Amino acid sequence: MKTITQPVGEASRRRSSIRLLSLYRTEIAIAIAIIVMELAVGAIVPAALSVGNVANVAQAAAPLVIMAFGVLLVVITGGIDLSVGSVFSLTGMVTGLAMAHGFSALASSAAGLSIGVLIGAINGALVTYVGLAPFVVTLSTYAIAGSLSFIVTDGHSLPISDPNFWLLDAGTLIPGVPNYVLWCAVLLIVIEFGLRKLVAGRWLYAIGSSSSSARVIGIPVNRVRMTAYLLSGLLASFSGLVSVSYIGNAEATAGSSLMLQAIAAVVIGGASLFGGTGSAFGALLGALMITIIQNGANLIGVNSFWQGTVTGVVILIAVLIDRITKARR
Amino acid sequence: MNKPPYLMTARGIVKSYGPTSVLKGFDLSVAAGEVHAFLGGNGAGKSTFIKIISGQIDRDSGSLEFAPNSASSSAADASDENTIAVVNQELALLPHLTVAENIALPRSRRGYGLFNASEARRIAVDALSLIDPTFAQASVDRLVADLSLHERQLVEIARALDSGASLLLLDEPTANLTAGETERLFTVIRRLTVDKGLAVLFVSHRMREIRQIADVCTIIRNGQTTIDRVALTSITDAEIVEQMGQAALGPAAEPRAQRRPRTSGDGIDAGKPNDLRVQTDGIDLEIASGTILGLAGPPDGPEALMDALIGVSRAGKWSIARNGTAVSYRRPSTAARDGVGFVSGDRANKGILANLPIVDNLAASARIVGRKRAVRREEVAQGSDLLDALSIRAGSLWDLPATLSGGTQQKLLIARWLRLKPTVLVLEEPTRGVDIRTKQEIYALIREMAAQGAIIVWWSTEYLELVELCDTVLAFDPDGHPTSVLRGDSISEAGLAHATGMAA
Repeated sequence: MKTITQPVGEASRRRSSIRLLSLYRTEIAIAIAIIVMELAVGAIVPAALSVGNVANVAQAAAPLVIMAFGVLLVVITGGIDLSVGSVFSLTGMVTGLAMAHGFSALASSAAGLSIGVLIGAINGALVTYVGLAPFVVTLSTYAIAGSLSFIVTDGHSLPISDPNFWLLDAGTLIPGVPNYVLWCAVLLIVIEFGLRKLVAGRWLYAIGSSSSSARVIGIPVNRVRMTAYLLSGLLASFSGLVSVSYIGNAEATAGSSLMLQAIAAVVIGGASLFGGTGSAFGALLGALMITIIQNGANLIGVNSFWQGTVTGVVILIAVLIDRITKARR
Repeated sequence: MNKPPYLMTARGIVKSYGPTSVLKGFDLSVAAGEVHAFLGGNGAGKSTFIKIISGQIDRDSGSLEFAPNSASSSAADASDENTIAVVNQELALLPHLTVAENIALPRSRRGYGLFNASEARRIAVDALSLIDPTFAQASVDRLVADLSLHERQLVEIARALDSGASLLLLDEPTANLTAGETERLFTVIRRLTVDKGLAVLFVSHRMREIRQIADVCTIIRNGQTTIDRVALTSITDAEIVEQMGQAALGPAAEPRAQRRPRTSGDGIDAGKPNDLRVQTDGIDLEIASGTILGLAGPPDGPEALMDALIGVSRAGKWSIARNGTAVSYRRPSTAARDGVGFVSGDRANKGILANLPIVDNLAASARIVGRKRAVRREEVAQGSDLLDALSIRAGSLWDLPATLSGGTQQKLLIARWLRLKPTVLVLEEPTRGVDIRTKQEIYALIREMAAQGAIIVWWSTEYLELVELCDTVLAFDPDGHPTSVLRGDSISEAGLAHATGMAA
């Protein structure tokens, strides 16, 4: 029988880097598109490229990035999580409420995060164990959690009283690196590593690819799906905390527009709503692209009513380019 | 403590799907180191039983024992211990993942462990090389979604072989394999049974192969055991067929002379010419009405020609002419309306509409050809007639196709075209996973359609079929190039093996 010799050293490394490049084909394309867009905006409004503005964009993008990471996990398994926007808002409200009643920033944050875990658990249980369609389940929890956000404070917004809380977003645990960047970077590395290198990551893709085959092989489909929804809830919650820390105010409507943006971000980054593909890197780039479009439109002075059109058109173009380059392979 | 003589013992297995009773107290036992053929007619319960052993579905009652831990009577437990690996007829692969990941992933039991991609590649290459070394090297990083049915079967078998299981369940494993690959698979199985005491339980309808590889056989009929662990050396083919409850339709020995195409009489359109001409470099073949043209060889070559004929892809290097005029179908509906019918053995992907009831499945092609806008009541009556014409027993026209066995679904796909009287009927492995009796019924049907003037184009990897049915055979080599045309007596298994370059 033939023995297969493994290439060693240089040849092996080169082969791995080629493989890596082709693996991240979509993400590289999106990154290029982002750079091109930013340069184009900078040509019209030079201030767009200033450090201040770049920091603005990054800070505005952070909550969306974190939420998109959560949605990504669910989308890879072939599901969807529409409740993230409401989890975002409700977390802010609960946290604000807890602080208003005198709880410490830490305790209040924990209370807020538990909202994400709770709703994630409900979503997960209804989808995996009862077998309801993810769209329907998460739409319902979206509606319920959304209305609860209003009920919690009777529709009023809540100022965040603890001055230390804003550090969650703008503080610097690592000197020189604002926290919002830190959270995104850490989550990016952890999630991308998990997706690529952990068996559980492969399982996520397997379930999204064919849940029946995954079951036959012996993958614990239910457990993995449940975990995906739990994490999605948790990350949406965390993103709510970061955002509230940034704004200083908890509002009941805060998360409503984010849900569609998070899904769009994940899809721009290469995930398919049918499941089986997607990456954290792509989700981050997708979120960045959406934020940059809005930032750019603002700076150029586009009438705010047109911003929806601008965002939609640019997203369509990005996705079309990606599809065309894939088809030509 | 007595060591149980058998690796797996199933006793009195009962399983019903609603009112339909599939298994009625079935027994089967498999010993370590043996290759055990599992035979039975269409819908007799074989696939159901395999799914029960492998833990995919639950049995209603009966016992299932597995050694070495004979206390564990749960099939799912045994699967967890990697004791059983199964290759179903409907392949269970993950399309978005690579070949390497598909083969190696089942080995990882714990989610929080690391998945080593290069190790996975090595495992996959080793496993695939057992059956097809060139495919192994070339395809280990390819996405399964990009593979053909034939290639997917290789991957699924490699995964099963690699699993280190002590019992292998194979449901028609050679259905999509060429002769060469089948030979290598059997070599691997023989080695594993001798070296590692691997037990193999496999379902097949190809008597030739069964005699080549199996030691004993068990036959199921009407949900119960009729033959239990009989050595293949002590039972004849005729006895097997009889025990399966198949009517005594042996391989039809219709002399070639009778298969001359009819040129007059009650044909499709009496008097209307119907001929087909296909040309490419080196080949210029004219096929008259009523001919059964066989295509032999691995998938690439025949598929290119078939896809062109049915309008799925451009003609490419093939020039096709019908009744003297060149044709190039731009889409399948054009071909269908020009009288080209298509039936594939890849039922799940190229034929059966799984979410629609039987009546819609039967009317599907008629609706396209006739450009029907509305669903009509006649379709129900016509559907009923078709089921009778083909002796298909279905619960109701409104049941889903999944309630029918594989062979019956295949008849359904042929029934779709029966009333439409196609002038050209293209068949792609039409008896894949079909039992002997149904096969004979299908052969008779096709012969009947040919006798009425249709031109049949038939691709099969089972040379016996081609030898039995075809007047002319176009052979292809593994690279997809047509090599030669065989006619009449030169159509033999040896002749085909030589022409296609695949060792018989």
